[in-house]
This record gives sequence, structure tokens and C-alpha cells, in this order.
Amino acid sequence: MSYIEVKDLSFSYTGKRMILKDISLSIEKGEWVAILGHNGSGKSTLAKAMVGLLEPNQGTIAYDGVVLTNDTAYDIRKKVGIVFQNPDNQFVGVTVRDDIAFGMENLMVPQKQMLEMIDFYSEKVGMKDFLDKEPSTLSGGQKQRVAIAGILAMQTQVIIFDEATSMLDPYARRDLIEYIQKLNQEGITVIMITHDINEAMYANRLVILKDGTIFSDGDKWSLFKQPEIFENSHLELPFSLKLAAALDDSLPEEKAVKDFLWQSISNT
Amino acid sequence: MKNIVIGQYIPGKGLFYRMDPRTKIISVITLMIAIFLLGSIPQLLVAFSVCAVMMWVGNIPVKRVIRGMKPLIILLLFTFFFQIFFNKEGKLLLDEVMHVTVVSVLGIVLWTIIWRLLARIGKFKTVLLLAYIMGIFVLFRFLPFGYSFTTFRFAIYEKGIEMSIFVIIRLVIIISLSTVLTLTTKPTDLTQGLESLMRPLKIIGIRSEDFALIISISLRYIPTILDEAFKIMAAQASRGADFAEGKLKDKVKQVISLLVPMFIIAFKRSEDLADAMESRNFVPGKPRTRIHELRFGWTDIGVGVFTLAALALTIVLKVIG
Amino acid sequence: MAIHFQHVSYQYPSGSYQFYQAINDISLSIPSQGEMIAIVGQTGSGKSTLAQHMNALLFPSSGSVDIFGSTIRQKRDKKISYNHLRKHVGLVFQFPEYQLFEETVQKDIMFGPMNFKISAADAAELAQKAIVQVGLDETYLKRNPFNLSGGEKKRVSIAGILALDPDILVLDEPTSGLDPKGKSQMMELFTAIQKQTDKTIIIITHDMDLVYRYMDRVIVMHEGRLIRDESPDRLFHRKNLAELHLDYPETISVLAAIKAQFSLDIDIYQKDMDAALVELRRAVGK
Repeated sequence: MSYIEVKDLSFSYTGKRMILKDISLSIEKGEWVAILGHNGSGKSTLAKAMVGLLEPNQGTIAYDGVVLTNDTAYDIRKKVGIVFQNPDNQFVGVTVRDDIAFGMENLMVPQKQMLEMIDFYSEKVGMKDFLDKEPSTLSGGQKQRVAIAGILAMQTQVIIFDEATSMLDPYARRDLIEYIQKLNQEGITVIMITHDINEAMYANRLVILKDGTIFSDGDKWSLFKQPEIFENSHLELPFSLKLAAALDDSLPEEKAVKDFLWQSISNT
Repeated sequence: MKNIVIGQYIPGKGLFYRMDPRTKIISVITLMIAIFLLGSIPQLLVAFSVCAVMMWVGNIPVKRVIRGMKPLIILLLFTFFFQIFFNKEGKLLLDEVMHVTVVSVLGIVLWTIIWRLLARIGKFKTVLLLAYIMGIFVLFRFLPFGYSFTTFRFAIYEKGIEMSIFVIIRLVIIISLSTVLTLTTKPTDLTQGLESLMRPLKIIGIRSEDFALIISISLRYIPTILDEAFKIMAAQASRGADFAEGKLKDKVKQVISLLVPMFIIAFKRSEDLADAMESRNFVPGKPRTRIHELRFGWTDIGVGVFTLAALALTIVLKVIG
Repeated sequence: MAIHFQHVSYQYPSGSYQFYQAINDISLSIPSQGEMIAIVGQTGSGKSTLAQHMNALLFPSSGSVDIFGSTIRQKRDKKISYNHLRKHVGLVFQFPEYQLFEETVQKDIMFGPMNFKISAADAAELAQKAIVQVGLDETYLKRNPFNLSGGEKKRVSIAGILALDPDILVLDEPTSGLDPKGKSQMMELFTAIQKQTDKTIIIITHDMDLVYRYMDRVIVMHEGRLIRDESPDRLFHRKNLAELHLDYPETISVLAAIKAQFSLDIDIYQKDMDAALVELRRAVGK
């Protein structure tokens, strides 16, 4: 049994059009999984269901053997946190300090301990000098870091990023991804919802959603070797991979370039 | 694009900044009651001096306190003139007949134009307003020429003057007290203080924690929402709906074109925010710890004792007097 | 020139709350015909502030902007109407949510033209034309704009400005939030509009691939200053773009890496996949 087990999950808002259909997924502790899909593929719905914000019509989600229900949601959310797309709409506190504290306050952490945790985690996400700042003075990338600190301070093991970088500019985006990479190396399980393959490249495993079903699920290298999967699910491979796919293996010169391209991707 | 100042809080150091917001709220209320118990101008003047000393000790910028009174100038003027005109007790000090005539009305029209022109300069607006009101009476009194529409008597009594001064001093003290509170207390501390003080209301079913959370989230989102409002206005202005231009008829549609997007974005935001809060284990009604804990200190004891003494003294004065 | 900036600066008096990034001493000219112009620069470099001076939404703190013969200087003159300038320069904001408010797409698109005293019948005709122009069909006119997908909303908001038939179209990050397919469709749409109508189209973007592939001219903003105004080709030939927090287009950076690795004699400045492949084959074939 894996740490996270999603089984035959189906969801629909109206009862008519299914947003998610029979989704089954197993995720191990410490993995970095990218859930990729075009706009409207159901990936954000899946993210919300995974933290119990939406109740599935069918199927179950379990963390460490415990099935997510209304009764278990509180305890499960101590293990799994979510960072949403819009940095502004998830910043609850009046200041950075208050926002990092919010989750811990809900968990009844004593004040003294909260202050220590805030010190520790704000340092970790590089926001220690901003503790008294108000959100309107922060950039989008800084707000997302604060959101991460707030979740880490709750001692979560899994963080779901629901298109958390899509409202940031390319530099802030790369910065955040590199930070997430660090978190993953420290043992945090990362589930990244995105439509940007450049972001998904950092993951080990790709799950591709198309029209509410899992279209493909596997190691990124094996999937990258089948460009048609991405084409068929309205996703676009990065230029380097497309170029590699177009090169001819039978010509030694082209093969060399191809190998080089593959290698340079694996170095990212 | 105006400055946004939420509340009047200005960061600083000093006696009042070190106090617990609860002590401040209760002290201000108590002192206000005490002020209302005072019955004579000399007593109020003493209270006023005490207030001034307090502000000096607490290092409160007097300019800011006076600025805090500006919005209330109309109220002050109104109370002042109300007392002068309608208090008919005591010795008669002044009794004049006022003439509403063609010439005096024309004079007033002219005077109004002069006043508006002068007001454009922008300085001394209050002084000008006062001069304008005085001027009207002078004109009624000294221009009894031409066809007379009507006349009326204008009398000022001793008590009227006294009461108007009395009421004004009282109002000024009360406004200064509340300004001291808002100048030295962050809006968040203020709400937390209120929350803590309102906790006993749980008996009648009012949950002060919810109230405090609502206020603090509102405070947090005011700049965001304003920013958005300006952007929506700019977006609609780009479609020819400029809020700074256009006739009244067009304005209605313009306001709708602003309000609908604002509401739709606000709904989306509250959904997102609810999700974010729930995912971080917020459960309405469940007890929470707080990152900011209120603690009483020595300053609070000092100020508390002072406040109680002031109240006791005024009660004694009231009973004796 | 249709729009002409002369030493334009914009800033807030100190201490007040800042919604817009400051810009500093900007001089620039924009013709009313035929150019595809990109404005690039990191977040906070003043791109949006610059754009909002183009249709007199913002007034410069110093300097002046000429917009189709009207001169905009410091402070709004209350006696002058600036509204008509918005018909010449159409500005589409980043989020369609900022402008959609009517119950049907048709009414929403008609809102702009009717503000300029165009009759309802004519405005309806313009709406019909505009919706087709943005690549949606006429059945959309009767739909509720709030029930559309993100990409469709974006198209409707663009149609709302296109219906004004502006001479210059300015779009703030029109491709943000769209998936790759949506992105390229949107860019093809702008190229098509530009070809059909010969309007100047100005796009604020972070996406250098789009800039290189579709645009004729690129304006680079950095910390409130205009530091480059040249062709994308020229810009991407420069060595120090990282200092400005700008990326190179993927085609260039990948080919450059290959060139360095294999010491090939290859022209790395290729705009798309096909051209890159042809050039690469030519170079390795030797």
C-alpha cells in the first residue's frame, strides 16, 4: 500500500458532466509527481478533492491507510497542505507573521512554540525579514513562499501545488520551482498540478490528465520518448524534446545531438 | 488614486503604545463617562489640561489629533450655533432685528460668491466658513434696504454662550481621547482587544472570535479590493466609460459596469479564501490559539489606577456640586 | 506618429500607497499602422504603467504624451474630455474579469461602442463582426460571459475592445494563464487581425518565444526605464539579457548549447522548429 492511494475517483458538480472519471493513483512518500493537463482537464478538481475540499461522487482517497472523509479531514490536513494558484486569495493574515501562524492557530499550537516555528520556517523560505510586512507590499512569488511556510509550520508531509506558479513571471516561477526542489530533497512529497511541461520536467513522474481521465502515468523519461502522448492531450513538449524527437537515430551525427539533448534535460 | 490609510494608526513609541488595547479601550470609555459627569466650564478646563498633559507625556503629535477633528468640524459648528440660537436662559446679551430684504439677500448672494472664490484658494477653509456664517448675520442686520420679505429677531443669552463653550470643550476632549486610542493602537490590536472584551457576550450567543476574524480579514483585503476597483475602472474607461466624465444618465450604467465585476471577483475570492482557510484546518467555532496574546503590564496598572481615580473624583464632584 | 512619448515620468508622491510602478523619462513613438510591438521586462518594471499612458488612463507626472493629436500633460484637465482617445487606442486588461459585466456576450461587446454614441443597431453589428474576428462564432453572442472558459472570456474581452475599431490595440499579458495550445491560437489570432486590418498591435508579455516568433519590435523596460527599443532579432543577439531578467527564446538557447557542445558552424537564430531542424541538419551534415 502506497502512502497516498486514490481509488476509482469520480466527480461531477452537476451530476451530468463528469469532471473526473475513475481516477486511480498511488503515490509514495517523498515522490515528486506532476499532474499535467490542458485547461479544463479536471486537474484542479482532483487537487481540491485530494485535500477534502470537494466530496467525490465515487471512489476514495486515503493517506497512510486512512480514508479521507468529513471525520478524518481534520487529521489528514495535518499531513497534506495545498498552495493555490492566486497568491492574493489565500493570504489570510494581516501580516506575514499572522499568515504563517494561521494554520498553527487552528491546530491549537501554543503561542511560544508558534513564534519559534515562525522564526524557523520564515528563515527557511527566505521571508524572515518580511515578518511584519503586509501582503499588499509583497510580490506574488513572496506570497507563495509565505503560503509554503504556513503549510510547513503545520508539519505537513505532502504539499500539493495547484498551478501555484501560473500567476508569477518566469523568474519568480523558476525561483519557486527551485525552492520546491529543495523541499522535495528534504523529504516532502510534492504533487504539482500544472500545464507547463517546463515545470513538470523537475518531477520524477508524470500523470497526464485528459478530459477527466488519466491518459498516461509513468516515469518522465519513458513518457518523453513518446511525443504523441503529449500531442494527443493538448500539451506541448519543450523545444529541446521536440527537436530531439525529430532527429534521426540512424545518422550518427544526429544521434549524437539527440543524446546530448536528452542528457542536458536530465541535468535540469 | 488617493492615499489609503486604514484607521489612523501611526507607528511610534511611548506610554500609550506599550499599553494593552483592552486597558486603552476601557480607559477611554471610562474617561468619556467621567467627562460627561463634569458640570462646569472650569472643571472641563481642568480636564482639558489633564488631557493635554497626557498627550504630552504620551508623545502624541498634536497636529494629528487636530487633523482627526477636521471631519467633525461641521458637528462642532452645528452644536455651537445650536446652543447660541436656541438656548434662551440667563441674561439677555444681544437682541437685534434681522431684515430679510432685497438688498440683504443680494448682499448674501454676493457674499456667497466671494466666499466660494476665496475657498478655492484652499487654505483656512474653516475660518472662512465661520466668517461666512457671521457675515450673513451682519448683512441681515445692517442692510435693511429695499423691499422687505420678512424680519426676525436674533437674540443671544448668557447661558447660550456659556453652554456653547461648554459643549464644545466637552466634544473636543472626547474626540481627542478617541483619537489617542486610534492613533496608538493598530486596527488589528483594536479588534483583538474588542474581541477579548466582548467574550462574555457568548452567553447571549454572540461569538466575538468570529467578529474579530471578519474584521481582520476585511482589513487585510481593503487594499486589494481598492486596487482592483481602480483597475476595473481603468478597464471600463478603456471602453469609453470614464468615471471622471460623462453625464448623470451614463453614470448609472458606469456604476453597474464597476459593481458587477467587483462582486463577481469578490465571490470568487471568498470561495478561494474559504478553501484556503479550510485546507489549513480552520473550523468555524473551534477554539484556536493566538499568535498575538494580550498581556497587561505595569503601564496598564498605572493608567487603570489613574482612570479610576479620575472617575471617582468626577463622581465626588458631581455629588458635592 | 500616432502616439509620441516625450520624457514621460510617472511617480507617486512619497508616502502614499502605490498601485502603479513608477516610470522614468520615457521617450518613444508608435505608428498607427502595421507594427507588432512587444513590451517586455520583469514584474514591476513599469510595463503596465507605460501602457496606461497610451490611452490617457494615467497622466504623466512630467513630460507629455501625444495621442492622435491630443497632448496629455501633468494632471487631468477637468474641462477636456479624454474619452475619445480610448476609441483610437484600445487597451485590453490582463484579466477579462475586470471588464465583463453584462448578461450576454453581445450586450457586453456593445457596451464600448454605445459609450461612443453608436446606435444599438450599429453596435450589434460591430459585436457580430468582433466576435468572429476573435475566432468565436455567432452563437456565443447569446451566451452568458460568466459561463465561458478562461480562454473564451479572454477572447470576448478582446472583442469588447475590437468593436471600438481602435487604430492601435494594446493587450496586457493576453496569453497568461492559457495552456500552450490556447497561447499559440491567441497569437495566431493577433497576427491575423494585424494582417487584415493593418492595426498596430502592442503586447505586454513575459514569453520570449512569442516575442521572437511573432513581433516586429520589442521595447524592454527595466526598473521604470526604457532601455531597449529595437527588433527582437537585434535584442536576442545581445549577450547580457540575464542582467535584465530576460530569457532567450528556447530555439536560440537550445541551438546555442548544441553549437557550444559540438563546435558547429550553425546559425542559432532560428524562429521555429522547422527552421531550426533544417539549419541543424545542414550544420551536422557537413
